[in-house]
Amino acid sequence: MRLIARYAKDRGNDFEIVTIYEHEVHKEAVPKADPAIKTLAKEHPSAIWFERKMSDDFGIIIKDAFDKRPLVHQERFPHTVYPMLKDFKEDVLEFAEYIPYKYEAIRGDGIFQVSVGPIHAGIIEPGHFHFSQAGEGILHQEVRHFYKYRGIEKMLEGKTLFDAKLIIERISGNESIAYQIAWRDILFSACGNELPLSLRKRHAFLLELERIIHHVTDLGFIPNDAGFGAALAYASKLSEEARRKMKELTGHRFGFGAIDLENIFYDTASLHEWLAELEENIIFFEDWIIDIPSLWDRFDTTGILKTEKAVKYDTVGVVARASGIMLDRRAEPFYLEHGFEMVTEINGDVGARYKVRMNEVKNSIKIMQHLLVDNTAEVELNKVKDGEYMSFVESSIGELFMAIDIKDGRINRFFVRDPSFMNWQALHLMMPNNIIADFPLINKSCDLSYAGNDL
Amino acid sequence: MIKFWKKRIKLGTLTEDLEFDTQLNEIQKEIKDHVHKKFAGSLAIRMVDSGSCNACEAECNALSNPYYDLERLGIYFVASPRHADVMLLSGIMTFNMTPHVLEAYKQIPEPKWVITLGDCPAMQAPFDKNFAIKSPAEEHLPVAHHIAGCPPDPKEIIKGILSFLRKI
Repeated sequence: MRLIARYAKDRGNDFEIVTIYEHEVHKEAVPKADPAIKTLAKEHPSAIWFERKMSDDFGIIIKDAFDKRPLVHQERFPHTVYPMLKDFKEDVLEFAEYIPYKYEAIRGDGIFQVSVGPIHAGIIEPGHFHFSQAGEGILHQEVRHFYKYRGIEKMLEGKTLFDAKLIIERISGNESIAYQIAWRDILFSACGNELPLSLRKRHAFLLELERIIHHVTDLGFIPNDAGFGAALAYASKLSEEARRKMKELTGHRFGFGAIDLENIFYDTASLHEWLAELEENIIFFEDWIIDIPSLWDRFDTTGILKTEKAVKYDTVGVVARASGIMLDRRAEPFYLEHGFEMVTEINGDVGARYKVRMNEVKNSIKIMQHLLVDNTAEVELNKVKDGEYMSFVESSIGELFMAIDIKDGRINRFFVRDPSFMNWQALHLMMPNNIIADFPLINKSCDLSYAGNDL
Repeated sequence: MIKFWKKRIKLGTLTEDLEFDTQLNEIQKEIKDHVHKKFAGSLAIRMVDSGSCNACEAECNALSNPYYDLERLGIYFVASPRHADVMLLSGIMTFNMTPHVLEAYKQIPEPKWVITLGDCPAMQAPFDKNFAIKSPAEEHLPVAHHIAGCPPDPKEIIKGILSFLRKI
């Protein structure tokens, strides 16, 4: 049974621990006087970040956990402060005494440690990677994040769904449309309205456009990290053109504010033309890049994530599919009717992840062609009803899960699990037997979000 | 590879939108002169993300695509603050990143400037101030220039760098 998320809620006298599995939801009440739970990390290793986050956020004790280090609260964060408790209302926190973080490290003769980050050499987000090295070879790596922790879960409490949207669409810039669609699904279930098909098609069209922009950018950056810059020049031209198309359709290059309830006219003829041209360019790109042996020498057998491990760590998205797991939230009637095909590879290496992206871009173009039809529908939303709602969306990285509790018309608990949150925890499995110089390549082939992970 | 070069030659230089390109050319000429005069030919930028949504970074990466190609103006993104003239700061300064941002600033040799990029560092984005946020950046660093937008598009970033160069 695949673990999707595990999080806590402050209910006054007790905590409710919610664990979401693929087909089941478990709820457990824990008294505040003795807030202790058992770890799930023995069966699901990726439960550990959820649990460490819970203990930082709420002060919940994970009794038998092998790892009790703080996760979100870094060296200078006051350690007795639990911001997700309802009675925590401070707006300003002062830096506390520096308590060093104990990294996972392998020690021994000739083994040394390499610290990378939080600020990296390129134009990328901050995060920390800690390597144990035997010469060039990586023995172990620890991923340490939450430098970008903005307290978004707490920030959204007390807001209406509509006020919250401005923040939700800015959680992760590369996945903005996906976040907005997750929000939209929750809005429609809270209002008890049915989503008109024309609206769903327009939104799905934009989601695929976002996926194309993100994947094509990666299709350029991954070869660039292997020293093949020409691919970046070509792919970044295509992604710039796609981004301009996004601007033309939504008024914003990243689609902030794009998911609304308006009927917007799309010039389908010119979009069909544009898609045909894009497809031609992608096919040319694939034909060219697949034929460069020195590049595939770097891609193949680098950063392998075996299928068993990918399953054990509950990975999602491109990373899971490249390791042979048939997992995509789009595998449902609506998308299947509109040309969706599951793309998988079996090798689980950088090359496999590259091919998955390449084929997904082609599939997205096909889906978009099927989604282009002129029709409109009016929608009048009912009042937002209180309750607990959740939604799933396949973002460009993988399965996005969002849960919102509404009380008196306002958000009482906001929780979102970015696909990156699962996949970051599996990144270290790809490292052994690789050299440290290949780390950027492996990392880029997964292209995970730091902002969505850290919240 | 031959196929690629054939296509490359046929494509030529990317001039998709004439009006936009002439505008860009004007800005570019101006920037080139400024960089040459004030920074002996090259302006080195260290980009630091202190808690953005990654859109500002994506736009900075877009600056090197064939449409904008910032490097031909002598403006480079460098890997270390010790090689930089300017720190380009994006994102709301989070509690966890603030000490690292200040450390990076300390590592930049004098003379140095801070440019804030996007609405976040100035706390003008929709995020509310809370316990995890130490923004606005002005409270921690001497900000010389601000480039507004959520995120500012590549053209706005180039224009912003130009008005910074005019200012100093």
